[in-house]
Amino acid sequence: MSNQKVNITVRNLSVGYKKGKKMVAIKEGINVNAYAGELIALIGSNGIGKSTLLRTLTGFQKALGGEILLNDRNLNSFPIKELARVLSFVSTEAIRVQNLRVWELLSMGRYPYTNLIGTLTEEDNSIIKRAIQQVGLSGYEDRMIDQISDGERQRAMIARTLVQDTPLIILDEPTAFLDIRNKYEIIHLLHEFVRNENKTVLFSTHDLNISTSEVDKIWLMLDDKVVEGAPEDLILAGNFDEMFHSDKVYFNGESGDFKLRKNRLGSYGLKGAEGKIATWTGRALMRIGLVCDESNPLVMINLPNVAINPVWKVVINSVEKFECTSLYELTAELSERLKG
Amino acid sequence: MLKNRLVTRDFMLFGMLLLLTILLFILDIFFGSLLIPFKTILQALSGTGNVSPEIKSIIIDFRLPKAITAVMAGMALSISGLQMQTIFRNPLAGPYVLGISAGASLGVAILVLGFSSVFTLGLFTISGSWALVIVAWLGSALVLFLILAVSVRIKDILTILILGMLFGSAASSIVNILQYFSNESMLKSFIIWTMGSLGSVTTSQLNVLIPSVLVGLILSFFSVKSLDVMLLGEQYAKSMGLRIRNARFLVFTSTSILAGSITAFCGPIGFIGIAVPHIGRLLFKTARHKILIPSSLLLGSIVMLFSDIVSQMPGYESTLPINSVTALVGIPVIIWIILKNRKFSSV
Repeated sequence: MSNQKVNITVRNLSVGYKKGKKMVAIKEGINVNAYAGELIALIGSNGIGKSTLLRTLTGFQKALGGEILLNDRNLNSFPIKELARVLSFVSTEAIRVQNLRVWELLSMGRYPYTNLIGTLTEEDNSIIKRAIQQVGLSGYEDRMIDQISDGERQRAMIARTLVQDTPLIILDEPTAFLDIRNKYEIIHLLHEFVRNENKTVLFSTHDLNISTSEVDKIWLMLDDKVVEGAPEDLILAGNFDEMFHSDKVYFNGESGDFKLRKNRLGSYGLKGAEGKIATWTGRALMRIGLVCDESNPLVMINLPNVAINPVWKVVINSVEKFECTSLYELTAELSERLKG
Repeated sequence: MLKNRLVTRDFMLFGMLLLLTILLFILDIFFGSLLIPFKTILQALSGTGNVSPEIKSIIIDFRLPKAITAVMAGMALSISGLQMQTIFRNPLAGPYVLGISAGASLGVAILVLGFSSVFTLGLFTISGSWALVIVAWLGSALVLFLILAVSVRIKDILTILILGMLFGSAASSIVNILQYFSNESMLKSFIIWTMGSLGSVTTSQLNVLIPSVLVGLILSFFSVKSLDVMLLGEQYAKSMGLRIRNARFLVFTSTSILAGSITAFCGPIGFIGIAVPHIGRLLFKTARHKILIPSSLLLGSIVMLFSDIVSQMPGYESTLPINSVTALVGIPVIIWIILKNRKFSSV
């Protein structure tokens, strides 16, 4: 395994595309860094240029200006064969080649190292075997790539980057199309590569919740700039609030994710219970558009602190009174009564 | 381990296919409108015993070149089909459907109908054969590059196939127009060419056909590794260090030589190029070209020899056109492929 480490320095970079002879910049003046042993999430709304930036960083696309340095050496100065030993890539495109076995897919990762006809040496085989174990696909070696689940296929694609044995791995939305469990497991896997092998891993994602709790750094693409920092730094600086200009979605700085704006129905106060039942009662009330306001609430709820058969006692406007035995009943009843 | 068992299975399959190829090769020489005893055939081939010159001529000058041509055509068309399926990531690609054979025909038509005064040296001399084969290569390459140019902009598999067919039709139309404006003697030599078949290839043409096909095949062996990574698409191939332009150039050169040479001497032969690689994938259950190339070589020979034997209609005087037989053999395979991946993802 290579012990090489890679730091990325992006200086005053402009990314975009050529339309005829005209250059169309999507994003200009990007200044960001990534250091060996860092897991970095690239976040930004759709169409802001995440994929373009990643394609430029992988060398698939020429930068319109500025420079990308890998360990102080310009990306453009790497011959394609040499770059393949430094940087490996996983795209968003789902690979569905027929009759391709998992180990065959992984063996392709040895392309930059094998001879003219791609003979695998003992060392190559042991690298492939190790990668299969690392991503938890032992026993899947001979399975066909189009006959395994999306999560398993994504693991195989990631294992292929391990086989390619590069200190830098770039992934374009590796968690798209995956279920929650697989999203977490894939990010966890990337986290391990970074911790155990000092790799630099950069991935784009829309899963804010997962990335804010797992990554070392976020590159956040906003309309007018790209900012970087620890997830918490960006939350405190209010950068995420700038992500959308939407009257429907807003960033909740407390929970660290985006929420839908509700039509405000009124305020609520909660008495009695504490802990889990209080939290989820609050969540249910917020869902239908009530905000917590203990001082002068429109809806007052009294909930005895019992775990079994709880009863929610409700008073609206100090006059209307009713009782409910489930949160479903409570939210339905409140929505109905507060509508008028 | 499972992996080792698979390797043993591969070797056994290859052994069986090789035996089948040899068997069909002998049968192909054996069957014909004239029934010649097996022993006489062996004597004629080995040059021993007392074989009448007529019989010897039938075997050495006619049936043997035809069987060799069948093997050449089977190998060349299958490998060009396999390479195209990989490079376009399209299970239905092949030299015939993509109009590459039609491109070769166009090349020949321009040579025969347009420059026939230069061409009076004749179709059957060595220099004539080389001229024929080279224009066929150029015609194939022209269509291939047109398809590549559109495939950069259009990713949809079926659209590219339809465009390939359109290019093919356009090439055929130009051929028809050329025929319309040609004089009688030019037209005659062209019509003779269009009636080409496995059996019309002469020994002197084989001297051109065999080296051409071998060059095309050798080039394809050099692409074994790059074809594998191209299965994952251009981006992945590049990210693993493949120089995509060089790799494509090598594959296109090989494909043009293979499909062009066969079309130049045997006329367009359809459906072998699409069908055979799929039979290989079905038998060997792999996507690696290190296995698919040799399996396509053997299976292509087998299918072509078999088609040729069928077209002889053993026991009858006349023969069927080879293109009809290969269509009947190949089309069921293609229908099976369509039914199998209705979603049309990739090879």
